[in-house]
Amino acid sequence: MDFGWTEEQAAFRSRIRQFIADNLPENWDEIAHGPGSREQTDFAREFCGKLAQEGLLVPHWPVAWGGAGADPWSAFILAEEMWAAGEPRGGQYMNVNWIGPTLMMFGNKEQQERYVPPMARGESLWCQGFSEPDSGSDLASLRTKAVLRDGTYHIDGQKIWTSYAGRADTCFLLARTGEGRNGISIFLIPMDTPGITVRQIPSIIGEGDIHEVFFDDVQVPESARLGEEGQAWSIVAQSLALERVGIPRFALATRTLNQAVSLLKDQSRFHGGVKDLAAKALAACRAARLYSYQIIDQRARGLETGAEASVGRYATVMCERLVSEFVNETLPETISGAYPMMLAHHQRGIVAGIASGAAEIQLNLIATQYLELPREPR
Amino acid sequence: MDFSLNGDRLAVQEAIEKIAYDFTSVPTDFHDFALTNADLDERLTENGFWDIAVLPEMGPLSAALAVETLARLPCTVEAPLSMLLNHLFDGALPRPIALVEDGRPGRFVHGAKTLIIRNGLKVGIAHPQAGDTEALPASLYAYPMGRVIGELNIEWVSEEQAAAVTTWLRIALASEMAGLLKASVDAAVEHVSTRKQFGRPIGTFQALRHRLAECTVLAGGVRWLALQAAWSGDSGDAALAALHAQESGSRIVYDVHQMCGAMGMTLEMNLHLWTYRVKYLLSELGGRAGSATSVADTCFEGLDA
Repeated sequence: MDFGWTEEQAAFRSRIRQFIADNLPENWDEIAHGPGSREQTDFAREFCGKLAQEGLLVPHWPVAWGGAGADPWSAFILAEEMWAAGEPRGGQYMNVNWIGPTLMMFGNKEQQERYVPPMARGESLWCQGFSEPDSGSDLASLRTKAVLRDGTYHIDGQKIWTSYAGRADTCFLLARTGEGRNGISIFLIPMDTPGITVRQIPSIIGEGDIHEVFFDDVQVPESARLGEEGQAWSIVAQSLALERVGIPRFALATRTLNQAVSLLKDQSRFHGGVKDLAAKALAACRAARLYSYQIIDQRARGLETGAEASVGRYATVMCERLVSEFVNETLPETISGAYPMMLAHHQRGIVAGIASGAAEIQLNLIATQYLELPREPR
Repeated sequence: MDFSLNGDRLAVQEAIEKIAYDFTSVPTDFHDFALTNADLDERLTENGFWDIAVLPEMGPLSAALAVETLARLPCTVEAPLSMLLNHLFDGALPRPIALVEDGRPGRFVHGAKTLIIRNGLKVGIAHPQAGDTEALPASLYAYPMGRVIGELNIEWVSEEQAAAVTTWLRIALASEMAGLLKASVDAAVEHVSTRKQFGRPIGTFQALRHRLAECTVLAGGVRWLALQAAWSGDSGDAALAALHAQESGSRIVYDVHQMCGAMGMTLEMNLHLWTYRVKYLLSELGGRAGSATSVADTCFEGLDA
């Protein structure tokens, strides 16, 4: 057991920090507040292109797909530094974390050759067509239908809360091709396909982040399906396990907490109960970080992670909440826009316990799979 | 980063778990608070466990793992300070070792060969003689509690050494808490899995499932922070581990007693053996407020706006 970094890992982290320092514009804090905005999406395309040229976009991908075959630690160190900087990769982090790896595992040759290289070059933006108005946590109840007629799928339905949809090139879509959980299939659909309509939903979490997406007799060839019909549930379970610890939210939370404490010290307001709250939030951030490291360690050693991903995710939700509340209570001017990056943290922190499987779903998984409590009757 | 145990550390951990396995039961006629076991103490002595922190191939990390494992047992033994403090003195302090803070009662004080005296930030060492201490058998804390009643000959240590002692006291506290909290959660899991109300195990009700899941997330976080602090010996890591242990302990003790209901109130269920040790540790080293102040003063030092 060793909680230290190797020289190579420390050097890799320094290299990323230097790259970020060299490539973030002076007004980055202002841009960072809207992860799905036109401004940040355009910046992310430029930034990710440079990252790719430096070999820093997908270092953990196989060499054959533009990576360097680096271990999971490299991917996580990269993610930590990016997230701490306000995630200048924008929505492209999803390509790096799970969409690319999912296509490598389950895509056919044509799909891989069409979609993976642009991701490795930092040129594409995807959205995730999972949730529907009546299917959020109960994802298996989704109703968007894909009907195969003469080699063409006809897709009808509605997705909602879809991040980045307004600017995405392609949608990773779940649609029903049969009954029940095993009747769901995955489709890779260009967003300019006729019949797709996107409407942005104004929200408290920033510009361009969530949308409604309508599918009105959208026609795609059979080759747009990823994997076999009905295989979506097992594929997505693996994809979401990558996603759950793929976002080191504790990194931006810790940076935000440090920034808040610095401001409070400057204002001679870091004392008494304020110190108490800051300390508790920091302890929660560090606990969340160690949980994430434990999962990465398991991955690096080729072990299955299972419900530990949910434990780590919930620890992160706890730390996000404490930091967000600390900033709101001690520096309310943040919420009014005085410190844009801290505001960005506040907005992203709201999402921590809701996106990619609500915190309560994680608690259900922990109770059943980790604590092995008797199951709830259904 | 490597979270796996291997080589010597794995062998030590397997050995301590093997010893612990022989002490997992509670005598059927025991319905009291301070359950100690002299045989366990003797087995640990025979197998040389008190010195593992000073052995280079083991170190304090192995000691922290051992403390955590032993804390899960229903019986208690003076291991935390012997294993995680004595290495600062090259293993020279005779054991049992006990902590006395500002003259208050402490665990293992009566019968201790070494007392760590902590008055505010001052730290001293004393070796009590017969009649210097007395037992407090009426205590609800599930440790053998005692207090100093005589005049001690205290040798005060330097400020630097006092800070090091406090750091390792925090690491010892967090390591022990990690085991106590795990055992408390395990006891609650067993209870809610078998106790039936409204025709089904109460562990099937989401209100309890979610609370218990949150408790296990907190308890696991305490363990990782304690182990990291034992690995680094850093004062900030130690303060963070102690704070998270006390903050989580406060919440978990309340929750597991709620879940175990009236059964958890009885001395027959034995939940109190862990929770009333946690309650004592919540009061050590300034409690949550003291640990939080230490974190704030140590971990946010030198930050610029």
